[in-house]
Amino acid sequence: MIELKNVTKLYGKVIGVNDFTLTLGTGAYGLLGPNGSGKSTLLNLITGQLRPTLGTVKVLGMSPRNNASLFRRMGYCPGGEGMYSEVSGYDWVCFLQRLHGMSVRDADLAASKALELVGMTSSMRRPIASYSRGMRQRTKIAQAIAHNPDLLILDEPFNGLDPIGRHELTEVLRDWIGIGKSLIFASHLLHEIESITQSFLLICGGRLLASGTAEDVHAMMVGLPNEIALRCSDPHALAMRLMGERAAESVSIAGDTLTVATQHPLTLYEKLPGWLSLWGLRVVEMRSADESLQALFNSLMKMHRGEL
Amino acid sequence: MIGNVGAVFVFEWKRAFTWPRMTWSIGLAAFPVFIIGLVRWTVNAEARGDGEIWRTICIVMLFGLIPMLVTMLGTLLWSSPAISSELERRSWVYLAVRPNGGTAVLLGKYLAAVTWVIPPALIGLTIAVPLAATGDTWRIWWAMTRLVLLSAPAYAAIYLVLGVVMPRRAMVLAVAYTLIFELLISFIPAVINKFTVQFRLRSLTVEWCDLSLLTNEQQWMVMAQFGTEPPWHHVTALIVLILCLTGFAVILLRAKEFPMSVESDA
Repeated sequence: MIELKNVTKLYGKVIGVNDFTLTLGTGAYGLLGPNGSGKSTLLNLITGQLRPTLGTVKVLGMSPRNNASLFRRMGYCPGGEGMYSEVSGYDWVCFLQRLHGMSVRDADLAASKALELVGMTSSMRRPIASYSRGMRQRTKIAQAIAHNPDLLILDEPFNGLDPIGRHELTEVLRDWIGIGKSLIFASHLLHEIESITQSFLLICGGRLLASGTAEDVHAMMVGLPNEIALRCSDPHALAMRLMGERAAESVSIAGDTLTVATQHPLTLYEKLPGWLSLWGLRVVEMRSADESLQALFNSLMKMHRGEL
Repeated sequence: MIGNVGAVFVFEWKRAFTWPRMTWSIGLAAFPVFIIGLVRWTVNAEARGDGEIWRTICIVMLFGLIPMLVTMLGTLLWSSPAISSELERRSWVYLAVRPNGGTAVLLGKYLAAVTWVIPPALIGLTIAVPLAATGDTWRIWWAMTRLVLLSAPAYAAIYLVLGVVMPRRAMVLAVAYTLIFELLISFIPAVINKFTVQFRLRSLTVEWCDLSLLTNEQQWMVMAQFGTEPPWHHVTALIVLILCLTGFAVILLRAKEFPMSVESDA
């Protein structure tokens, strides 16, 4: 479905994507990376908005640059807003379908169906300027799927959606994958991608760091130091107890936050509630480094450089 | 492809019916009428003296106000930001990932700009020419109408290319081009002025309005920059220019990269 061979994209002296080689078959993939990692550059290359400085890009067997045949089979939902605020969601989606060469009638049907699919039927005649962020996000997705593409590319599609909207979109995308269509889905949040697909591409610093399933990624992280930040009522007492239980390799305290480094985070997660109850301590906030994508990528980058 | 261009054209026309744009159009139509009316009111019938001089003054003013000012300004406003407006509002990417989307947007907006500018120019012309009372209203109206029909697509094509060459500074570039080439270089009596739209339109005005400037030796010295070629030559040159420029704009657009989201990414 997508083939990139030694693709490098330079913006002057800045590297957007660095020696990227990748082959993806039909299916659903999550493109995971922190902000500024090169996700959007990669999507721009795949959608033909950019020409690689080095290497070749093929999508559905074709070069994506100015390729009308490919664009008929591809739907793209960009990360930014960028819709015409003064027109209605229906007019906007309908107009974009007309650019696919559809007749007025076909464009009307396609737009109405897609907007219905994303739950926008009741608001589709209102100007986009009056939409909430979530409604604009739904409209963006509708324009990407209305012409029934084979490959759907979404850049941060959950941005601005409320929990119900997220759930509904998740269902839409799962159905999409279920009927055998392909999906590339960029996000900087691991759980968003995990809710849709188990196939990941991890990108950071313009490089492909790892690819595979969630289990593959977690397996790579086994044995790596994992930091957990705990905001609690008595961080000194908690630090002492955790060290006493040998649940932490090191601890540090800043204000009411205790940061624990451990090589066995799952054990700590399992035992911590019981310990807190036993010791009479209260934790009001817990952030795991495993959920912090930047930390995960930092570790992977260190592995990549041979530092771990 | 034609359908895509048509879709953009219709969509742009629908979007154009806003108060700011309507006000601009009314302003464009009213301005030449106001100026001609003011001159007519200031210069009384007795002061007009020789009818031929008054006629020449009116033709020069009508030419300067309508095929030049109104169409230039109108096309500059609507044609030069054809791409930059999409880039600024970050809507370009939605259009560019459609089959021939970029080309359709460019040509559709070009046609919309041309057809948006012509009506106010013709309305202004239709009111201003009788107001000038030159004695051959129909002839001057018909000549100016043909000039508007050539001037609008020609200037729109120039501004379209400039908008693709440098989308982020399209307006500035278009104004600079107009001042330097169309208003300065076009008056230089050398080969270079033949490459300007202004030169062709000016020469056609002299021919189609049968201005007596060319028969007066002293005036000829001043107005030496008029062409001596037949009208069909100028018309052909303008049509070729329009086709070449729009074709060039399409080729340039397809070759250029307009990445979105890179700012937050790279």
